[in-house]
Amino acid sequence: MFNDRSAVNVAAPHNRIDARYGGQVESPDAGVATEDLHFLDDPQEWSAFSRPDPRSTDCWESNVLIEGMHCAACALTIEDALLSVPGVLKAEVGAASHRARVVWSSDVVRPSDWMRAVQTAGYRAVPANDAFARERRKSEARKALWRMLVAGLCMMQVMMYAYPAYVAAPGDLTPEMEQLLRWASWVLTLPVILFSCGPFFGNALRDVLQRRVSMDLPVALGMLITFAVSTAGTFDPRGIFGREVYFDSLTMFVFFLLAGRWLELRLRDRTAGALEALMNRLPDSVARLCEDGTYERVPVRRLLPDDVIRILPGEMFPADGVVLQGDTMVDEALLTGESRPVARGVGGMVIAGSHNLSNVVQARVERVGDKTRFAQIVTLMESASTTKPPLARLADRIAKPFLIVVLLAAGLACAFWWGRDPEHALMVAVAVLVVTCPCALSLATPAAMLAAAGALARRGVLVRRLEAFEAMASIDTVMFDKTGTLTRDVMVLGSTQVREGVSVVQVLDMAAALAQYSLHPVSKALVAAASETAASPAWKANAVNEIAGGGVSGRVWSGDATQTATDLRLGSADFCGIKVSQSDSLQTCLSDERGWLATFELHEDVRSDALDTVAALHREGIAVHLLSGDSAQAAARVAAQVSITEFQGDCSPQHKLDFLRNAQQSGHKVAVVGDGLNDGPVLAAAHVSFAFGQAVPLTQAQADFVVLGDQLGAVVKTLLMARRTLRVVRQNLWWAAIYNAVCVPLAVVGLLPAWLAGLGMALSSLLVVLNALRLSYSAKRLG
Amino acid sequence: MIFPNSLATTYNDKVVRQFAIMTVVWGVVGMLVGVIIAAQLAWPELNLGIPWLTYGRLRPLHTNAVIFAFGGCGLFTSAYYIAQRTCQVRLFSDKLAAFTFWGWQLVILAAAVSLPLGFSQGKEYAELEWPIDILITLVWVSFAIVFFGTIGTRKVRHIYVANWFLGAMIIAVALLHLVNSAAIPAGYMKSYSAYAGVQDAMVQWWYGHNAVGFFLTAGFLGMMYYFVPKQAQRPVYSYRLSIVHFWALIFTYMWAGPHHLHYTALPDWTQSVGMVFSLILLAPSWGGMINGIMTLSGAWHKLRDDPILRFLIVSLSFYGMSTFEGPMMSIKTVNALSHYTDWTIGHVHSGALGWVGLVTMGSMYYLIPRLFGQKQMFSVKAIEVHFWTATIGIVIYIAAMWIAGVMQGLMWRAINTDGTLTYTFVESVKATFPFYVLRLSGGLLYLIGMLIMLWNVIKTATTGRSVTVTIPAAVAHA
Amino acid sequence: MDILYLLVPLSVILVFFILGGLWWAIYRGQFEDVESEGERILKDS
Repeated sequence: MFNDRSAVNVAAPHNRIDARYGGQVESPDAGVATEDLHFLDDPQEWSAFSRPDPRSTDCWESNVLIEGMHCAACALTIEDALLSVPGVLKAEVGAASHRARVVWSSDVVRPSDWMRAVQTAGYRAVPANDAFARERRKSEARKALWRMLVAGLCMMQVMMYAYPAYVAAPGDLTPEMEQLLRWASWVLTLPVILFSCGPFFGNALRDVLQRRVSMDLPVALGMLITFAVSTAGTFDPRGIFGREVYFDSLTMFVFFLLAGRWLELRLRDRTAGALEALMNRLPDSVARLCEDGTYERVPVRRLLPDDVIRILPGEMFPADGVVLQGDTMVDEALLTGESRPVARGVGGMVIAGSHNLSNVVQARVERVGDKTRFAQIVTLMESASTTKPPLARLADRIAKPFLIVVLLAAGLACAFWWGRDPEHALMVAVAVLVVTCPCALSLATPAAMLAAAGALARRGVLVRRLEAFEAMASIDTVMFDKTGTLTRDVMVLGSTQVREGVSVVQVLDMAAALAQYSLHPVSKALVAAASETAASPAWKANAVNEIAGGGVSGRVWSGDATQTATDLRLGSADFCGIKVSQSDSLQTCLSDERGWLATFELHEDVRSDALDTVAALHREGIAVHLLSGDSAQAAARVAAQVSITEFQGDCSPQHKLDFLRNAQQSGHKVAVVGDGLNDGPVLAAAHVSFAFGQAVPLTQAQADFVVLGDQLGAVVKTLLMARRTLRVVRQNLWWAAIYNAVCVPLAVVGLLPAWLAGLGMALSSLLVVLNALRLSYSAKRLG
Repeated sequence: MIFPNSLATTYNDKVVRQFAIMTVVWGVVGMLVGVIIAAQLAWPELNLGIPWLTYGRLRPLHTNAVIFAFGGCGLFTSAYYIAQRTCQVRLFSDKLAAFTFWGWQLVILAAAVSLPLGFSQGKEYAELEWPIDILITLVWVSFAIVFFGTIGTRKVRHIYVANWFLGAMIIAVALLHLVNSAAIPAGYMKSYSAYAGVQDAMVQWWYGHNAVGFFLTAGFLGMMYYFVPKQAQRPVYSYRLSIVHFWALIFTYMWAGPHHLHYTALPDWTQSVGMVFSLILLAPSWGGMINGIMTLSGAWHKLRDDPILRFLIVSLSFYGMSTFEGPMMSIKTVNALSHYTDWTIGHVHSGALGWVGLVTMGSMYYLIPRLFGQKQMFSVKAIEVHFWTATIGIVIYIAAMWIAGVMQGLMWRAINTDGTLTYTFVESVKATFPFYVLRLSGGLLYLIGMLIMLWNVIKTATTGRSVTVTIPAAVAHA
Repeated sequence: MDILYLLVPLSVILVFFILGGLWWAIYRGQFEDVESEGERILKDS
């Protein structure tokens, strides 16, 4: 069969054998990536993003994403590059979607060949793994568009035919002419009623069979009656329904309703589309450490936990893991909303989907595939969109009796008017059926919440349950955990006291020389502080010895050997053999042969935006509490830093739960912000919960909102967004109420012509969807 | 099924060259006849007593020559060129394409002979007698086969928007021609319309307005959507808009016809329909204009140095102007003043000279050098001169006709206190005389510009050589 | 206005043809990914 390795040999130039016979193909500019692409030449690999082309047995249709496209003309360059590869039968590149569809013959060419052609052109092709879900969405969108356009085109023609009847003076339009125009209108309404109205009739039938009422039932009924009346008027103009026909009204409201639904579909597609950008960015292969110490490239799919991999600068992390060697900056923007690159050194966590920016790192794989944070985010987003918030459920509960009332009102109005004029009676019934808009209830609430969820997702806050929006908007209290929530899980050097005759910088250097051998948070803090003021050359230490619970000792000397070596001790006062005065903050001492050398004061690293967040919450009238399992002093220190006045330390999980329950029983609505690990029960019991911090396993987190980055400000953003969302939902509900309260009586009394009813209903639902859309735009102002 | 043209490696530009040259030639001829009849309106003795040179016989020769000979050849040129280049495949059938060329020239010659001889069906833009109508049908069907066959065998999946416009034109004109020219022959060059009286009028103006809408508008919009981006080296401003614009336009044009028949025996309600839909037509028309002009957005400086681009962009301005003026004139109250006056002539010519004329000239100036292996026309300065003579000519022409038209309308409706007409008809004719002379000078300038173009084209063609262009190979094997 | 017996049915038939054309265009993907199509003609011709 096709012998990959030998056939595509970069080291054999100028061999141009006709590719049809499976020969070599010149590749001028393969580079490192050649090895990558080979893995796609395995039929098992390429079938993940391709499917067999029905046309012939050896043809495949592959979907890939193109990276590096910056303009519409790039699409054409890439198409040309692909088509120039023998064996590629078709290539289409979408300039807006950055996707390419390639049809190729597996007898002649392999994916690596044409993907390399893309690379040579200056871009990169990445397999698209969700191609078929996208296909489904695409065909759904096409169908919706087609239905709407059929309704629209027919509507325009029917309006033209209806127009003469409106403007003609009595006697000007002969009966035969009128008849002709009615016929033409009838014929052109057929596609609309038989095809475009399909979804409405389908849903209505289902309702009837399952004995329930949904919005489509009155609408479908209205359409049927209108069509029936108008048909009767067309075929029997002298009959009771012959005075007027309503094809123009009918086509008009079908068109407007479909337009509303089409817009909705596009909105949903855009949210899903944003996810796709996430879902398709994992690399295909990565360098894995083998037993003999060399690295081999393996497909990402084959990685297992505990594999050691090497990621070069510019590459993407294919799995969640921990850095073993190396120090680099990573870009986690897609996953955390954090636009600044963050540093990751030894022991740092890296996540699948983030980019390695500066240096080579070696990492141990911890989670792959479905278990990566990245995959969890995707699942979370998808599940959120299927949940139904209480407001929506309420809306549905109201909808049913409401619709029954509408049906009754229509029936009664019809019965009332029947005696006078049967045609008018039926059209009054139609007007009543059509004008009502329960759509504000069923349609707009989820639309508003989805729009808000999408907007928040782009800012690094994932919504697990849409209901959380409702709860969040009404909270009046926020309970913060301390460690890992208000603070980062590290210590930071505060002030330093030194013995006379030595400088702070020197003392810090000396301490750091010892501390670098210890993993204690205090040591890390000292090393971090020292690196900022680093004098060079640095102090060195040897014979370092760490005593658990005490400190570190060793022999240090200065890098430039200007001073003699000394024995140092770094640790608690006891360990250093000195006495220090008690203080509120954590103290670490440094002593040498002469005795006390320095005292370092350390405190927890409160998140930079914690103070602002608390202030903002206070401004919004929210009471803020801090409950910590740490000591009361520690709690007090942090509370002071962020100006929280209500705080408690030494809280056990049970204590926190009790506090929460009490608050709730006194009528407060409480949101709890924790790190998702230790506060499980509390988070579950709260009205609204936020899970914070990078280490949260998303599938286990019980929180309603999961903050991907470490910005505390996300809490405030979510609060404002939730309030805005609820405001929009309430506006929509009010609108629905007023609209129906005004229009239904008008229709019953006979003052509302059918076409106006249709227009009103369509405009009303459009208004409600557009109002919801505002949320995606207003989110920009949140920052 | 593999058609022979898909295997070809070069484009068929021979027929494009032929049509392109004839576009310019017939332009001169048609405009010359126009100048003659304009002169005759001022000085009727200019028919010199010869029946074949009377105004009544020369006018249809003028309209047919400029619309179908000049405009038609321009459309054939563009359709064959654009379809091949955007589909990256040779014309579907060289033989049929050649037949359309020679057939169309025959139609024109037949018109040039039969119309002065007085053979006419009496229908505006459809005067040619029934044998010629049959020839037109044969040529047009062949045209449709070649054009749609080329599109059908295309190597590019997407059908560029210009082709949609050209395709719609071809189909619409076929339909219009077949319906309107339905006649019962009563001699070799004599026939009676299948319709009569006001019914005939309705069909005629359904045809007439759609001929304007599809032949003179949709077709040339197709031309514009290709040559403006090519000359400006920038893509169409909004490709999506061009698609929406296309569908909206072809849809609304169908019912605007009655606006030609306001205050006639046509029922009131039909007239109203015509009015309303003519107004609605304003929107899609302007969509096209905006799209074309805004293609230059960010590159307006090119207008300074490039006279060809100037032709194209100015043509769009006239298009916008005419498609605004038209709906205004279809409002019944306005029409009450303008109907039968020279304002209508002014409107026609702002569209014909301003839009159709200039866009064809610009497109030919783009094409002809390339068809003859030249980098540019023999004299770019001559293009500049042409641009200015043409534009000034147009302005003089339409200004003269506006003033004349409004004046006529006002004079005709002026009533004395006792209810009698203030002016006799002849008085209005006398008052119009100076404007006829003014219009003649405008038209003369326009003709002079066209003669300059003819000279420039001949020089370019004779100093160049016919080139054969290869179809880009990368696509050819796919 | 008997002529309308011709013109109106004619326009109805025309509408169906246009709908057919529109269907063909939608389902052949003529309306998708159109941003690069404007640029395509600017390449060599």
